[in-house]
Amino acid sequence: MIKVENISKYFNRETILHDISFSLEKGEILGLLGPNGAGKTTLMRIINQIISADKGYVSYGNELMKEKHLLDIGYLPEERGLYQSMSVEKQMLFLGRLRGLTTKEAKNQTEYWLERFGIQAWRKKRIEELSKGMAQKVQFICTVLHEPDVLILDEPFSGFDPINIELIRKELLNFKKKGKSIIISTHNMNNVEEICDRAILINEGHKVLEGTVHDLRQQFKEGIYKISFVGNMIAFANALWAGYEIIDKKIHGADAFTIYLKMRQGNKINDLLNAVIDHVNITGVEEVLPSMENVFVKSINAQNEIVSE
Amino acid sequence: MILGPLAVLGLIYLFLSTTTSTNKEWKILLMDKKEIFDSKLTSNPPKNLQFDFINAFVDYEDFAYQEKYKDYDLSVWINEKIVSNKKVIVSYRERPPENIQRQIIFLVERRMEEIMVDQFTDLSVSKFREIKQALNFDFKDVYDPKNEKSTTASWVGFSFGALIILFVFMFGMTILRSVSREKSNRIVEVLLSSVNPRQLLTGKVLGVGFSALVQFTAWVIIIGTGLYLFRLTLFPDMFSPGFVADAVGNSEVNSEIASQSPFVNLIYNQIQYANMLIFFSLFFIGGYLFYGSFFAMVGSSMGSESDGQQFIIPLTLLLFASVLSGYYVVYFPSTTLSTWLGFIPFTSPMVMMVELSNGFEDGNIWQLFLSLIILFSSAFFMMIIAGRIYKNGILRFNHRLKLGMLIKWTKK
Repeated sequence: MIKVENISKYFNRETILHDISFSLEKGEILGLLGPNGAGKTTLMRIINQIISADKGYVSYGNELMKEKHLLDIGYLPEERGLYQSMSVEKQMLFLGRLRGLTTKEAKNQTEYWLERFGIQAWRKKRIEELSKGMAQKVQFICTVLHEPDVLILDEPFSGFDPINIELIRKELLNFKKKGKSIIISTHNMNNVEEICDRAILINEGHKVLEGTVHDLRQQFKEGIYKISFVGNMIAFANALWAGYEIIDKKIHGADAFTIYLKMRQGNKINDLLNAVIDHVNITGVEEVLPSMENVFVKSINAQNEIVSE
Repeated sequence: MILGPLAVLGLIYLFLSTTTSTNKEWKILLMDKKEIFDSKLTSNPPKNLQFDFINAFVDYEDFAYQEKYKDYDLSVWINEKIVSNKKVIVSYRERPPENIQRQIIFLVERRMEEIMVDQFTDLSVSKFREIKQALNFDFKDVYDPKNEKSTTASWVGFSFGALIILFVFMFGMTILRSVSREKSNRIVEVLLSSVNPRQLLTGKVLGVGFSALVQFTAWVIIIGTGLYLFRLTLFPDMFSPGFVADAVGNSEVNSEIASQSPFVNLIYNQIQYANMLIFFSLFFIGGYLFYGSFFAMVGSSMGSESDGQQFIIPLTLLLFASVLSGYYVVYFPSTTLSTWLGFIPFTSPMVMMVELSNGFEDGNIWQLFLSLIILFSSAFFMMIIAGRIYKNGILRFNHRLKLGMLIKWTKK
């Protein structure tokens, strides 16, 4: 759907984005990750043609991105903004019209979304009368009102309570099901693990990582396994010998444990099971993959080290 | 939108009804102790004045408080030696409006005239009046024999120009507030994801301009109709040049007074309204676009809503200077500076209105068109500059606006 090619951006001789390339496929949710000030918002603004890149280009479909394509995009900026003294309904109609809907379409869509979110009662309320979370909901509706093919959402979950986060998450998955493509920038790594197909990590204007969420976690795994059992801890430890290193343990009761360990000397999980299976009752075995948060922190630290060297 | 002009109309009504309460009937006591007037004043007394004669002098205190004088609004004291001392004292309970004062003066003077003529000459009154008539002097500029250049005409142009400046300021501020509000609301980023900054800016300026035009038209129509109706119904003699004479019923005097009033002549005959209105609209649009782009520029580059104040002050001063330049041109219409002021887009809407009301000499009409061309091309140029500043400034928040920033933003 969208291809970003070698985008660079400078402000006052400072590099904000350096040679960033990636693509967004149809029906995919792409997570744009990065610490504060990494350049995510700038990148999103460039894709939306709010600011122009100093180098590189963005294409939409098979064409260079032009103004007409903006009508197919729904953009939710990080700094949320609505006309404070306008009513919810008018706001939606206005923004819907601005994005190319006819008055009738805009009305129908407004109706549909007000009902879907169960907020018909807010119709005549002015934005300034709403709480922050309520206004956020309205803002989200305004973003998707014109049924765009691509959604670009800057921190879509910030400012929401857990119930509404769930609501938005469901809507996003719904959009994905309909074949729409979504770019999300977020700090909330749980969300990335749960809904993103792929992720791109940006730090200080450079692309640090790119890949599917599964691949990234695989890439950063440290060969740690988690094994739970019922039985004697000493018997378990004796059975292991030197081929394994116990990193951590959790005691659940007099004879129930969960052990975290690393393989040594090229041992596999099957070797581990063979070694202990006669001594304890195993209740669960699992490879421990790093959370996206760990991936995030590790790769940022790794890059900062390279820079400081 | 309708309340504003209605309020203005209301104020005008209040003002007029207190200064010319024409419907009131004034009862006047003429104190003529020696019966000089012989209980006669005029054969044809005006409807709203009623004169009663008394051959005694009533002093202030008695007139003010005694029961029998209670019905009188005014007393006119014709003293015994009036023929030599020419003194008339009029005492009132409530100060009579200008037109009533003039009626009384007129009537008493005419009667006095008759008496003096009778007493001191052998002439008939009409003969005397013919002799008495003052010479009618008229100072004429040989280069402008029709007196098209009088400052009175300039003031009409000045009012038109000032109106332009007033509206430019009002709606310029509307642009500024609207831009800075969208900015501080942060909705501008949402808008910019659908339209480009130049479209947004143009839409803003045109939108506000259109609403300005609608409002302005509504004002003109409402106030115009209101004044017309006032004249027809409530204050029929308010604008009439010969209202004294009307009341006295003497048409000869009517025309005499009319010809003596240069202002009336100016209002009805000299100003070419069609011309004025066409160029008024053109300069209004040009001035609005020119100044409007400055207001949009400041609005879009403000870091916070209070931050731009420092740039509003110079803008306001510019507009003020423009009004002053109009004032200058009223008094010094033919200096080189005046000509230049007419070409500078900051002052031209004001100055050209003044010059237009004075009328251009045949060879100089190009000045008007050159000024218009300069105004519109600078407005166009400023819109481009404003577009650049708008584009660069609109997404910057919470900075302190500096002049250097504005200059830098114009480059890209």
